Amino acid sequence: MQIIWDGIREAMRLIFGGDADVLQITLRSLWVSGLALLIAVLIGVPVGSLIALRHFRGRRLVVTTINTGMAAPPVVVGLLVALFLTRNGPLGQFRLLYSTWAMVIAQVIIAFPIVAGLSLAALQQLDLGLRQQIAALGAGRFQTFVAQLREIRIALLAAVMAAFGAVISEVGAVIMVGGNIKGQTQVLTGAIVQETRIGRFAIAIALAVILMALAFGTNLALTLIQQKDRHSA
Amino acid sequence: MSASATPVMVAHDLSVVRGGRTLVHVERFEVRSGLVHVLLGPNGAGKSTLLKALNGLEQANGTLEFEGRPVQGAAARLALRRRTAAVAQKPYLLSRSVLDNAASGLRYRGVGRREARAVATGALDMLGVSHLASRKPGRLSGGEAQRVSIARALACDPAILFLDEPIAALDPPTRRSLVDDLLQILDSRGIAAVWVTHDRDEALAVGDGVTFIERGEVVQTGPAMDVFSRPATESFAAFLGLDTYLEGTVVAGPGGDLRFVLGDGQELSCGEAPLGHAVACIPPEDVVLLTTAPEHTMSLRNVLHGEVREVRPDGRLLRVHVAADGLEIAALVTKAAFEELGLSIGSPVAAAFKAAALHPIPRHERAEQAP
Repeated sequence: MQIIWDGIREAMRLIFGGDADVLQITLRSLWVSGLALLIAVLIGVPVGSLIALRHFRGRRLVVTTINTGMAAPPVVVGLLVALFLTRNGPLGQFRLLYSTWAMVIAQVIIAFPIVAGLSLAALQQLDLGLRQQIAALGAGRFQTFVAQLREIRIALLAAVMAAFGAVISEVGAVIMVGGNIKGQTQVLTGAIVQETRIGRFAIAIALAVILMALAFGTNLALTLIQQKDRHSA
Repeated sequence: MSASATPVMVAHDLSVVRGGRTLVHVERFEVRSGLVHVLLGPNGAGKSTLLKALNGLEQANGTLEFEGRPVQGAAARLALRRRTAAVAQKPYLLSRSVLDNAASGLRYRGVGRREARAVATGALDMLGVSHLASRKPGRLSGGEAQRVSIARALACDPAILFLDEPIAALDPPTRRSLVDDLLQILDSRGIAAVWVTHDRDEALAVGDGVTFIERGEVVQTGPAMDVFSRPATESFAAFLGLDTYLEGTVVAGPGGDLRFVLGDGQELSCGEAPLGHAVACIPPEDVVLLTTAPEHTMSLRNVLHGEVREVRPDGRLLRVHVAADGLEIAALVTKAAFEELGLSIGSPVAAAFKAAALHPIPRHERAEQAP
């Protein structure tokens, strides 16, 4: 028990003392996961919407693939990305393996199906009559699309929260494609694994507290926006 | 309202086909400014599909002209939707304030936020709901929400207002006040309306013209009173609740008047109809029940004597079935009148009706039409 209290005390010192290594790891985590999330939202929402609003051959297969992607183990994603980025792989020429870009790519692949799948599900639940009413009011195609996204904004925020939770907390893919290199590609989850392995529990606990605080803070902010919107809807 | 009002929209040979199946087809349909055109028919008849085709929401074959110009292609259909407006059975309000909802149609049409809100405020005021401007849709009653939906449509100053069962989900008092207000606004602003309903009373209350649609085809169209008093087919007559059917033949009487001769040779005076085999129906509201000999009822040319066979409630009235001279005639009477006549099952009674109330529908059986 003592070791835990010592760890928490050390964590407080590192966090509030502004430890440079901890700050760097935290910022790198936010950068990698934040960028991955942004890209996943920019691609996932339109793709999910397109699938929800259009009927085409093989649509069920695409939906099943996206839904499967939502449950894809990060290590599998890491393995696939590593295979593509390795020197002899199809994208080896870009020399991205063991870089933060490789980590971003892996996290985009993890976050994309979550954003696309949840947007798709939310749009499918919208009453077809509402879509027709928006069009009947004189909205063009793009205006109708945007109006529908506004209607599912609470569900979209939930998708963003779920995707952020998935990428900020995953460890398998970032270690496999980033290499967990201290000072270069190490993020919070990878650092916790490493510090625990070498017995530096205090730092591991400090990083875990920061990780939890980040996850909690981000979700709290998104939840506050979401609930405010729900009450005003 | 004038029947010679200008046509705002004309549809020729318009049909909506989906999956190789024709959902609805009309030879010709006109929407005239200042008039309310009712599309009447049972559920699944194709009324709403036709409404969407007229509104540019549904792609259709044939010709559709709006304000003298053909509506062809997606861009023209969007332009049509931006000159018209629609109200559905559900209000379909967006999750934003009532005022922003009312302004949304104008915003889609490129009107600036401030101007759109000013116009929307006027429209909400017209519908008596401007005090709800800052409310969110979730805090409105069904009637209030539908008023906001109508205000949103009227804010766009539409040339035609398309209404798809706009009062079907409302309680009777709310319906009445909304219909009164809406008809007054349409009339005062000269807005044409196409109003879909499956409710015959609603159709009669709001329609200048009525088009009855069944199984995707127009059965009858014309001024509301004419269509209702002279249904062209048995199925339309049944839809209108005319459950007295008599089979016989229309012949010219000795004095030039028309007679409807029943199978047993009994003759009744009837309204205008082509000579020949027909099925005649009698609106139950046109049948008078008498327990004494008629005195001041010279216009009641047909008087059949019989007895009360069945009595059942029909809304606030009673539907009394009289077995008379081998026929069964239905009459609608108030409870008070029924009690005043001292009637009960088996009571002797006479069912009387004017010649014009007996409306023969010519029979066009396939066998008869075959060469």
